Formats: sequence, C-alpha cells, structure tokens
Amino acid sequence: MKALVYNGPRDVSVNDVPDAKIERATDVLVKISSANICGSDLHMYEGRTGMQPGRILGHENLGSVIEVGSAVDRIKVGDRVCLPFNIGCGFCANCEKGLSGYCLTVNPGAAGGAYGFAGMGPYSGGQAEYLRVPYGDFNCLLLPRDSVEKENDYVMLSDIFPTGYHATELAGVQPGDSVVIYGAGPVGLMAACSANLKGASQVMVVDTHKDRLQLAEKLGAIAIDNTDGEGVDRIMELTGGQGADRGCECVGYQCCNMHREEVPNLTMNNLVQTVKATGRIGVVGVFLPEDPLAEDKLAKKGQIAFDFGLFWFKGQSMGTGQANVKAYNRQLSRLIELDKVKPSWIVSHELPLSDAPKAYANFDARKPSWTKVVLKPGT
Amino acid sequence: MKERIPYDDAVDLLDADHKAVKKMFIDYAALSLEGGLADEKRQLAQRICQVLTVHAQIEEEIFYPRVAQALGDEDLVGAALADHKRTKAAIAKIEAMKANDPGQDAAMSELGILVDQHVQEEREQLFLKARRSTLDLRGMTPELLQRQNQLKGKSRAAMVKETA
Repeated sequence: MKALVYNGPRDVSVNDVPDAKIERATDVLVKISSANICGSDLHMYEGRTGMQPGRILGHENLGSVIEVGSAVDRIKVGDRVCLPFNIGCGFCANCEKGLSGYCLTVNPGAAGGAYGFAGMGPYSGGQAEYLRVPYGDFNCLLLPRDSVEKENDYVMLSDIFPTGYHATELAGVQPGDSVVIYGAGPVGLMAACSANLKGASQVMVVDTHKDRLQLAEKLGAIAIDNTDGEGVDRIMELTGGQGADRGCECVGYQCCNMHREEVPNLTMNNLVQTVKATGRIGVVGVFLPEDPLAEDKLAKKGQIAFDFGLFWFKGQSMGTGQANVKAYNRQLSRLIELDKVKPSWIVSHELPLSDAPKAYANFDARKPSWTKVVLKPGT
Repeated sequence: MKERIPYDDAVDLLDADHKAVKKMFIDYAALSLEGGLADEKRQLAQRICQVLTVHAQIEEEIFYPRVAQALGDEDLVGAALADHKRTKAAIAKIEAMKANDPGQDAAMSELGILVDQHVQEEREQLFLKARRSTLDLRGMTPELLQRQNQLKGKSRAAMVKETA
C-alpha cells in the first residue's frame, strides 16, 4: 500500500510499504478515505521527538471497515468509522473511567497509545491506504448515516474537535463565562467553537497569525493580535481589569514570541496573568518531559519557568493533558449530524496522499492559508 | 499493617526502572550542560549504572527466559540480550572512570541513547507480546521484587565498602 513515511527531520515521502493487516483477533482493518495532518505531526516532522525513521505518520483518521478480526462483535465490514487518535483497550483502570488517552495496556510503560506517534506505541499511522485498528469494537466510532457528505466534518472527531472541547472541559467553561484562548490554530479554533457551544459570553482568541485570527472572528470570537506583545493588556481591558473566567492553552511547548523565537513559558505565564483570580486554566497544547533540541536550558529537561507565585496568589487551578477522545466523540458527532456545528469550515486544503510531502512543508512553514489539510488516500 | 506489592505485574515492575533512569538521565544531561559539580555528576552516574545493572540481572535471570519460552521466540529475547551486552560494556566503561574524568559526559550520553533505544524496543515489542501471552506475569512479580531487593542490598553494601 501507499503510505506517508517519516524518513528524518523535515523529510517525509509517500512509499510503497507492506499492507496493514489484521494481526490480532480484536483488530479491525480500515480503508482510509480521510486522514488529516495535525499540528502535533509537525513536532515529529521537525525531528523534535524520538520518532524512528520508517514509521507511518497520521493519527486523525476516517474510513470504511474492510475486514474484522474473529473476536470483533459490534463493528461490521462496510461500516464507516472515525478513529480516535488515542488507542485504548477498554478494560484497564483508566479506560474503565473514560480516560482512554491514558490506556495502561496498549503501550506498556508510557500511559497512552496513538497511531503514528513518537513514544505512543508501535502502531502505524493512517496517512496511508489502510489502517490496522486495535480493539476495534472499543475504538471505532460508528458514524451517522450522513457520513459521506459530511466526511470532512466527521474526520475532525478523531482529534482536534474533541481536543478543543477537552480544553474547555479542563478549564471548566460554563454558560456565561468569559474565555481566553491562546492559539488560533485548528485546536484553538475548535476550543473557541466549543466555548460557543457551551454558552460562553465572551471568547477571546490570541495569536500572531492574521489569517488564523480572521477565522476566529468568523466564529464570533474577539481576535487578539499579539504581534506587538500587547495581547495581555487588551484582554485585561476587555475583562474590566479582572481577567477572563477561564483560559485555554492550545499552543504548547514550541510557542513563539513576536520575533518567532521559541519561548516555552510564554503562553502559560500569559494565561496566569489574563485569567481572573480563582479562574481555571485548561492546557491541551503539547508539553514534553524532555526536549533535547530546544534552545532553552530548562526546556531541554522538560521544564518551564512558570509564574507559580502569581498562580498561587490568584488561587487559580489547572487541568492538563491530551484529550480522551472517546469521552466526547459520540456526543459531538450528534451535533454534526443535526447541523448544530460544522467543523469542516477549518479545512483549507483537500489533497491526494501523493501531495502529502508538499503539504507538510507548507504547513510546517506556517504558509498563510495553510490551516488544515485533509489527505484523501485512494483519490 | 499488611504489606502489598504495588506493581500490577512484571512489566509494571520492570518499567518502573525505565522511568526512574529516564528521569536521572535528563537530570544528568542538565547537570553536564549547566557545569554541575563533578561529585554530584559522579554520584548520579553511579546510581544510574547500579539501577541498570540490577535491572538487567533480574530480567536475564527471571523475566527473559520465561518470556522466550512462553512466546516460543528466541529472537526477540536474543535481541534484548544483545542490547544488554552493549549497555553493560558502556556501564563498565563509566564505572572504571574517575570522578572528574572528562569523558564521563560523553559516555553517559552514549549510555542514555542505548537505554532509550532498548526501552522503546522493549515497550513496543517484548512487553506487549509478554502481556498478551499466557505467561503468569502477576505471579512472577514477587519473585522479581525479592531478587531486586536482594541485589540492591548487595550493591548498596558494595558502595559503602568502596567509600569507607
């Protein structure tokens, strides 16, 4: 089959590789029709992780089931399914509690498995013609009947929509709250969309990319351009000097200042400043236990200089970590089915798999208008 | 109070060592980058070497032979043993060094890379397959723990003797 293979830093190619196949009786085999490129794929693309050359990338996948293992009961050949980026077993202590992003069995040692992701188990990614889905009964989200015409909406259920929603859950967003969101990338925009769904009264989105801020405005959010470094002042003005009720971090450890230099503690400390006393912060941007290639000494060992004094003084609280997609994807799929939300508005490019290397290069360079790429293997 | 074994199974116990040494390797790299004291670095290097040595020994004595038998796959364990051989050579080199040996940082970084690769292989292949086999990984845990404690005691005693 054809698949997008990681060869090394900023080097990916579409290669012929052995077909994905059923390996265990609980597996399901999916013919992929949509596979997104995610911002977190770029951490690997840039060589900032322990990703091994030769592995297939892609953790935002949707397709049709073409084969099921002998121990699969629920999922049938022909079903159209969206796969959460996290792989869970369904029976460990964390999966039992809905924390499938921290599954204890699919990736022994580290908590959590994922497709085509560094440090998250041996599972191949879905930027390919076929994908092996472990524990298919548990991991497949069976899609509503309108899944063909709304494919670009439903594929967002694999990661960015639930992840954006998770940011608002971690931050505890409730009706009437004001919410400040750092990052107008796809996840930040989905967090803004989720805050709207939850009835937030005021949603502010901070970034330095004008094309992305325009998308935030389309959602009815207040776009705050931090290019001049005055974002904090603007938020304080908008919230009467109090700060927002809730804050979401949707950038992660490679966040940059106005000069495009990485400042890993920038968004976290700005959140402490711009969220009100007793407010809550949800962090879904990726931070890692070590980053040997970082310029910053602390960042190399996975640390940031965090304004803990102010955080404590303001009595704030924080929730962190990757989204447990399965905790949300079924409910969110109903909102798509009933036309209450249309996450496909974020798609900027729909490309065949063969164009994936070009797409990675453009997305990595943050070329204007390259917001979200959906690859279409088989076209 | 009644004592309980806190590890779910053998994989859980063995991987706790992986997590512990990973943290120590990150700390060592930070110390070497920030020009930390030679004594402090030496102590950390020795501690890493000790944990790895005990870890390798209980794997080789107890875990690996039973995994090889249960999986009927000598190759997988053979590859792990080859990793251990390389790791042991790197450890021996470090242990033979003096506290202020200028080569220690490079040797530790080399050992860290070897260990990272081995851990990833083990997590993605051997541990997963062992867990899915019929092997009694829970039953093996007390035995591993007992042998680990015994060997830890020995290495502590050796260290006390060395520093006395």
